[in-house]
Amino acid sequence: MSFRRLLIANRGEVAVRVARTCDAMGITPVFAVSEADAEAGYVAGRETVCIGPARAGESYLRADRIVQAAKQTRCTALHPGWGFLAEDPRLAALCAVHGVTFVGPPAAAIHLMAKKTPAKAAMARAGLRLIDGSDGLLASAAEAQRVADRVGYPVLLKAESGGGGRGMRIAAGPDDVTRAYEEAQAEASAAFGDPRLYLERLIEGGRHVEIQVFVDTYGQGIHLGERDCTVQRNHQKLIEESPAPRLDPDERMRTLEASVRAATSIGYVGAGTMEFLLLPDGTLRFMEMNTRLQVEHCVTEMRTGIDLVREQIRVAAGHRLSVGQDDVALAGHAIECRINAEDPDDGFRPAPGTIETWASPVGEGIRVDTHVASGYRVPPFYDSLLCKVIAHADTRDAACDRMLAALDDLVCVGVPTTAPMHRAILRDEAFRRGDYDTRAIPGFRPS
Amino acid sequence: MAIVPLHPIGRPRTAFCDDATFAEYREALAERERRLDERRAEVHAGWGEKYRARVHAKGKLTARERVARLCDPGAAPLEVGTFVNYGLTYGAKALTSPAAGVFTAFCRIEGRWCMVIANDNTVASGSWWPATPEKIQRAQEMALRLRLPTLYLVDCSGLFLPEQSRSFPGARGAGHIFKKNSLLSAHGVPQLAGVFGDCIAGGGYMPIISDRVYMTEQAYMVIAGAALIKGAKSQKITSLDIGGAEVHVHQSGCADVRVPDDEALLVCLRAEVARLPSAAGDYYRGDPHHGGAAPLPPAFAARELLGIVPPDPRETYAAEEVLARLCDQSLFWELMPDTGREMICGVGRVGGLYAGFIINRQGLLDDPEHRGRKRPGGTLYRGGIAKVSAFSRACNDDGIPILWLQDISGFDVGLDAEVRGLLGYGSSLIYTNSTNTVPMFTVLLRKASGAGYYAMTGMPYDPVVQLSTTLARQSVMEGRTLAIATYNTKLDDDFEIVTSDPEERAAIERGMAETAARIDADMDPYVSARQMDTDEIVAFDDLRRYLCAFVEMSYQNVGYRRVKNPRIWSLHDLAELTEGIR
Repeated sequence: MSFRRLLIANRGEVAVRVARTCDAMGITPVFAVSEADAEAGYVAGRETVCIGPARAGESYLRADRIVQAAKQTRCTALHPGWGFLAEDPRLAALCAVHGVTFVGPPAAAIHLMAKKTPAKAAMARAGLRLIDGSDGLLASAAEAQRVADRVGYPVLLKAESGGGGRGMRIAAGPDDVTRAYEEAQAEASAAFGDPRLYLERLIEGGRHVEIQVFVDTYGQGIHLGERDCTVQRNHQKLIEESPAPRLDPDERMRTLEASVRAATSIGYVGAGTMEFLLLPDGTLRFMEMNTRLQVEHCVTEMRTGIDLVREQIRVAAGHRLSVGQDDVALAGHAIECRINAEDPDDGFRPAPGTIETWASPVGEGIRVDTHVASGYRVPPFYDSLLCKVIAHADTRDAACDRMLAALDDLVCVGVPTTAPMHRAILRDEAFRRGDYDTRAIPGFRPS
Repeated sequence: MAIVPLHPIGRPRTAFCDDATFAEYREALAERERRLDERRAEVHAGWGEKYRARVHAKGKLTARERVARLCDPGAAPLEVGTFVNYGLTYGAKALTSPAAGVFTAFCRIEGRWCMVIANDNTVASGSWWPATPEKIQRAQEMALRLRLPTLYLVDCSGLFLPEQSRSFPGARGAGHIFKKNSLLSAHGVPQLAGVFGDCIAGGGYMPIISDRVYMTEQAYMVIAGAALIKGAKSQKITSLDIGGAEVHVHQSGCADVRVPDDEALLVCLRAEVARLPSAAGDYYRGDPHHGGAAPLPPAFAARELLGIVPPDPRETYAAEEVLARLCDQSLFWELMPDTGREMICGVGRVGGLYAGFIINRQGLLDDPEHRGRKRPGGTLYRGGIAKVSAFSRACNDDGIPILWLQDISGFDVGLDAEVRGLLGYGSSLIYTNSTNTVPMFTVLLRKASGAGYYAMTGMPYDPVVQLSTTLARQSVMEGRTLAIATYNTKLDDDFEIVTSDPEERAAIERGMAETAARIDADMDPYVSARQMDTDEIVAFDDLRRYLCAFVEMSYQNVGYRRVKNPRIWSLHDLAELTEGIR
């Protein structure tokens, strides 16, 4: 029905997740591994191909080696997972010329969404609302001043080619705009050779809501509901859930439909996520589109019963979506906790090491996605995610309670984990009430 | 989609060029690019505001305004020949002829690339100066090579008669324009003419061969205008009465359609172009959902070219990094990488379409003839010449447009070079390039010296277009080299002046300095552009826009040239033969 062999260009929990669907579909997964992962338990008994040394820059981030590995192992498709090169248009383009089907959107769609002002302009045309700010790029400091005066302070000046926080300045008030403009421009010019800036109202607080969309190569698109990922630390999501608490039903419905329109209007293909900021006034404002599957896609899978990786592979093979919008039923409430090998009482310091004993919780409405087993050594080279626990129940409170029970059953001896923090959050009154935003973790004060 | 083994090339700028060096190069270049902007603005101003106002007072648009309205929204014209006649003056009044009084540009109209030739009615009523006919013919030649629809926006009072002897009689005299009109027509290239005003004598012939001729109510076409008729036949009659729309649309049939004004005419021309077959670029790119390519920028920003090529021609840089900033997604298939490493040959996508690149590698490279020794890049040796010849032939065979990126000091010289038969290998390359029919485009990045300039398809080898950057230097040899050659007998083996007589010594020093200075001044790209030795001077960060357009034009029209799909490229055979088991 589709591919016989598929290269998984990723590691850990991601690779295990993609392989599970491959197994179910009768596709042989080939794991691209770095030297550090070559002996890991999760690839035992699997077909692997080594793509380089432990350092991601020499292995999981090397598009040329990954495509070569696919060719050598006779894989006709490549799943990038999420993270690493999943949003690199170059990998998608490289796959195309080498005859390997990239399980993801075309390079052009990835590229468009990676560009800040063009992405926003495309989404605005399709009817999504943006955070107030400049209409595209700024021509001068004077224009920045005019726009800032119109949208209100504080404002954020951002570099069009920026990244990693460079080329970004806050202007607190009208007297501050010229300084912020010049500083941001100088930094952007030196770092990226591109002095162009745009401006946005700086929103403090707010909630993070995202919408899962899916489009096939024939332009048919659906949405699979929303997720709320407001519980974050330094922009790292900790807890995701669906449906989103505190979202007006009309705004939700309007934005779900507009997101599908937006995705099809740019020729998008496959799974994608529109990320929004939910403002205190109740409106959703588009921030960016992730052109890949998300870590937290499991939340959506639990509510819909649809295997998103399966749909991705089918769409990549040129099939139509297996469900229409009317077939999508969003049932109950699902919540996911990301458990990392980090010490929450020591500033979330990553804690690589050997896990002596591991036991995943089991129970009704509980799903655990992990690559970890007793004896697994957490390598120091990559992110420290150990597992994701997903709980599903009829109501939010019931799902939270199930999650708490599951976390109590989780056994991890050998490295500290963030599970205690999750327990504290789930027990917290403010969390249960939905009374929090992205600025602070409810029920938990990092030491 | 056929497999083309492209690979990632290039590195992030910070990996090979630190911020300080980048800033230094950028600053040095910015100075030159500022000058380019200023001079371009000066040319675009024509004879100035007074003449623009005069055109507007007649209810007409200027040539540049007409072209702007003709182009698709957001698609700026790609001008060629901006600096023809730049800095030259004519007659006792020292009249200038900005852009030689004619605006020639590749324009995107209704999604199709066209050549637009527009008489500049703000410069001596659009009359033809010395070099104007050659410039028009050059534009027609570009259009002919690529089969681009050609549009004439005619508003021309004829030859600028005080200088007639320099534009009338020669092989490329004004009349040759009409031969080009005929050749374009004979090759099936659509030509459209809009007559907006004066169209006298030679100008009168220019529109007629076009498939469709539009006239505004202010336009007339005549073999001789009212003034001449008054003298010759003592008749008092206006030019409009002699050859206006009333005569030519309804009585003579020399024009097809009359329209009230400039705006209406431009709308009609766009509609004509829309009736032509659509551009084939997307066909050759393929469906991006099924392995095809959409136009994508390089993975490393093209604008970084502003700071990675050192303005001093003696300094070196990594040519791969230039390619990485010109190819889509910085993906490139280098052919024969182990032979003639002083040259890089390969295929990349530009705006989603395949093009062949040939560029000089710079810096010291291993000398394959002498183990352990080095020799400078930017030079043609036997291996490189043979490689370029084979690649150029293969691209021609496969119908892949070739982009030549020159930064070359010339052929290797000396006994070794002669023994290895560089004259023969070079001639083979010259033969190849001379007989290629695939569209070729040349960019002079920096040095374009000696026979290297010829061998890499410099202007004398008929590239469709040749661009110069602001750093380009065309010469047989550098000024200092010529100074040494000129004073050879007065110098010792280390090129030091032999004489001890202070006066003679001073004279030689002065002579050498003058020789070097004169040559250096002549290597100015504006001198070259002025005398049509290069087609256009382009800013580094504008290069990719031009190349994307050239490649797209090369694939726009089907049926007139070979375009093989990548499955049957002879390049694959070449790779197999030269690289063995892969």
